[in-house]
Amino acid sequence: MVPVSYYLSLSAVLFTIGVVGVLVKRNPIQVFMCIELMLNAANLTFIALGRFYGTATGEMYVIFALAVAAAEVSVGLGIIVTIFRSRQSIDLDEAALLKS
Amino acid sequence: MPAIILFWILAIVCVGAALTMVTTANPVRSALALVVCFLTLAVYYVTLSAQFIGAVQVVVYAGAVMVLFLFVIMLLNLGAPAARTSEGSGQRTAAVALGAVLLLVLFVSGMFFEVPGRAVSAASAQAQGTVKAVGLTLYNPHLPWLFPFEATSLLLLVAVVGAIVMTRRQV
Amino acid sequence: MNLQFAQLILWLPLLGFLFCSTSGLYIKDRALQKRLTTVIAPGVVLASFVIALLVTLQFGSTSREIIALIPGASIYDPWIRFGGFRVNFNEVIDPLSLVMSLVVTGVGGLIHVYSVGYMKDDRDYTRFFTYFNLFIFMMLLLVLGDNFLLMFVGWEGVGVCSYLLISFWFTDEANARAGNKAFIVNRVGDLGFSLGIMSIWSYFGTVSFYTPQHRGVLELANHVGRVLDVTGAVVPTTAITMICLLLFVGAVGKSAQIPLFVWLPDAMAGPTPVSALIHAATMVTAGVVMLSRCSFLFVHSAVALQVVAWVGLATAFVAATMAMVQTDIKKVLAYSTISQLGYMFMACGVGDFSDGIFHVVTHAFFKALLFLGAGAVIHSMLGEQDMRNMGGLKKKLPATWAVMIIATYSIAGFPLLSGFWSKDAILDSASRSFAGDGMLLYAGGVVTAFLTAFYMNRLMWKTFYTKERFADGHLHAHQHGDSDESGSHGDSHGNGSVHPSPSTMMWPLYILAVLAAGFGWYAGPYGPNGGDLLSKFLAPSIAPLSLGGLQPQPGLLSPMAGYLLSSIVAIAGLVLAAVLYGRRMESGAILEPAAAEASPLVWFLKNNWGFDALYSAVFIRGGGLLAERGLMRGVETDTINAAGDGLAKSVGGISRLLRRIQTGYVRNYALVMLIGAVTLMVGMLVGVMQH
Repeated sequence: MVPVSYYLSLSAVLFTIGVVGVLVKRNPIQVFMCIELMLNAANLTFIALGRFYGTATGEMYVIFALAVAAAEVSVGLGIIVTIFRSRQSIDLDEAALLKS
Repeated sequence: MPAIILFWILAIVCVGAALTMVTTANPVRSALALVVCFLTLAVYYVTLSAQFIGAVQVVVYAGAVMVLFLFVIMLLNLGAPAARTSEGSGQRTAAVALGAVLLLVLFVSGMFFEVPGRAVSAASAQAQGTVKAVGLTLYNPHLPWLFPFEATSLLLLVAVVGAIVMTRRQV
Repeated sequence: MNLQFAQLILWLPLLGFLFCSTSGLYIKDRALQKRLTTVIAPGVVLASFVIALLVTLQFGSTSREIIALIPGASIYDPWIRFGGFRVNFNEVIDPLSLVMSLVVTGVGGLIHVYSVGYMKDDRDYTRFFTYFNLFIFMMLLLVLGDNFLLMFVGWEGVGVCSYLLISFWFTDEANARAGNKAFIVNRVGDLGFSLGIMSIWSYFGTVSFYTPQHRGVLELANHVGRVLDVTGAVVPTTAITMICLLLFVGAVGKSAQIPLFVWLPDAMAGPTPVSALIHAATMVTAGVVMLSRCSFLFVHSAVALQVVAWVGLATAFVAATMAMVQTDIKKVLAYSTISQLGYMFMACGVGDFSDGIFHVVTHAFFKALLFLGAGAVIHSMLGEQDMRNMGGLKKKLPATWAVMIIATYSIAGFPLLSGFWSKDAILDSASRSFAGDGMLLYAGGVVTAFLTAFYMNRLMWKTFYTKERFADGHLHAHQHGDSDESGSHGDSHGNGSVHPSPSTMMWPLYILAVLAAGFGWYAGPYGPNGGDLLSKFLAPSIAPLSLGGLQPQPGLLSPMAGYLLSSIVAIAGLVLAAVLYGRRMESGAILEPAAAEASPLVWFLKNNWGFDALYSAVFIRGGGLLAERGLMRGVETDTINAAGDGLAKSVGGISRLLRRIQTGYVRNYALVMLIGAVTLMVGMLVGVMQH
């Protein structure tokens, strides 16, 4: 039986990779993927802890997280497409209208 | 023991895929690496007796979501981005440093975590992950999941409508 | 005994106020609104009076009754509660509050009826009665409230009504200024009162008079020679003295004593019924009521009592001298009011609170009568207030003359009239002052009584006896207070000659005349049922001097000799005025105008002993200089503005630096967000690990 701390540590690694990815990638699609990775890392802790506590609550949360992630991806990609249409580019560093 | 070995193999594949996704500049390659990562996670779910969630992970994430990603990438026909134009070099360093701190914090809180109390037997855990068990939990009016579930359906509807409205060509 | 219905004494005038203030919203027919106001506004006050009378008759045996004012609440439910501070919304029914309620609603009701005639043609008829009813409510709250806070609410409420009514004809700037002056001068006193309440709270731990049982301030002070707080510890005498003096500052403001009396003469800018009700009969006596209510505290502080007595005497004398030279009929009465209030304070200051209240009551009768009579004169003269333009009115206004002569003789202390009994009681107490200064107090009081008789008869002679100094038609040209705003006296009566007042204005005068003549005998030492009815009735509400270990000195004169001396002094004053003015029927003045101009004494008295000039120099001009030189240049320009500019500049500098953070790169923002998130998580982790 694998101890729960293994899963939590793996989740921590995946989450951190996702975080760093969000901060360093300039392609918003890849940023999105990194966000998905972070969500999945969180899902892993839910499933693992649910399994070790013997409750279904973890699975329930994962189902909702999945639904939210799906909604988020569809809207987010829609935004990206819209940005691309208006600017012919989706480089995050070129979308810097807030610069003082 | 075999379980631990399986864990390590999957962990190496999973983290490797994740690193590939982050490091590669090519979005298509990135997406494919993420698919691999999601699939290994699906296997984890199955070993954690969450068969239904594992299946959903494959269908929704590795299937639908990633296909959507690939579809958009190809629609926009993006290659690797041009050489960096504006970014200060501090960003990458700071991100990695912060990531290290974050990893440390998460590690410390995760590594020494043990679930108190008796271990849950594999058989009862198996029973909990089936479609039947998940369905009974989700739709049980005496448990608090039913209303959020219905609210989620509304959220999905809004997302679908929103995506269509946003990407529709302006007339 | 169930006296729950005593609540109505307080609530009825409030209902009247609510009706008058809102009727304009749902009654579109102005004539109907006016008719309803005519019935309801005086009606509620008179109904209040009837209830107060019933309660008084039922009262009999008990000495005190506490009634919760919120229906359904018990007397222990707090009205305000924070921390240990609790204030109940109760009214106290005891002899003092009953006597004052009767005076307020009785005299107030009569003046309401009088006002129906007096204000008949005023455009703002309903507004007038709105304020009047509100005033009655606030005054009743003041006298009936069971704690200092409720009393203070009423205290401020009557101040507001006074302000509103003084500047009732606010389109005339002088009236608005007079209202402001009254309000601002009263603020000084109110500050003292509120500080006194705070001190009471901090020393006693409660601000209630009687509730809960044996824990109210007055009951805590009801021990011989010592005052306890709620925990049972002894309150030091210096604290009692401080509290009493602070409360006295409040009384000085409201009751127009030296040095805060300057607002009252100006308050005559309001309609005459206002002067009668507020600035003579009721509100200005609030200070005396408050001192009497707090008599349990005052008797513990000989110092405070001495201050009260001497301020009272000084006010009585100074105001009487000022009244000698006034030419405006209402101003004479205003200074006379101040002077009489001084008597009341002197009574309180020698520990004879019940005779102070006695004088409050008799003064309410004869001073209301004087004002209403003066109002009838002014009404008949179409707004003329200057006595130099009157004279010879006895033939034209015989009824008014008759009631005025009763009131004049009563206030002058003519034997056996009301003022005689109450004033003599005060003089007698003053002569037996516990501090041994009875001789001086008595002498001052007697001299003031002489002056009172003189200036009152001067008023009568100038107004009623001497030769007519007005011509028909001449009066139109004279604009003055009471008629110009209403603007219809001239229109409705046309010919400009002296005309009699309507009967609603005269009947209250007759009733008041009976009281001004007879009440003193009824309540005085030779009244029915063994005499001293009022003192005996008031006894449970008033602390005896012995409570504070003070002892009245033996009197200077026997009671009979005192009566005789008072009578002689009063008659001498009256006769002297009659002789002096009888010699000069033509001009109605002792001195020729030129001589009066030249006389430094007249100049001095006419200028209020220089009080107004002093205040003007010190507070208005001095304050202006301080504001301009000190505050504007020193503080405003050099400090505040400089600080403001410096702040703006430094903010600008910092912003110029900070705007570099605003890169516009979304990933930079995400990084900053992550810094916060990581910091939070480190903090949480540290927190968890410490457990």
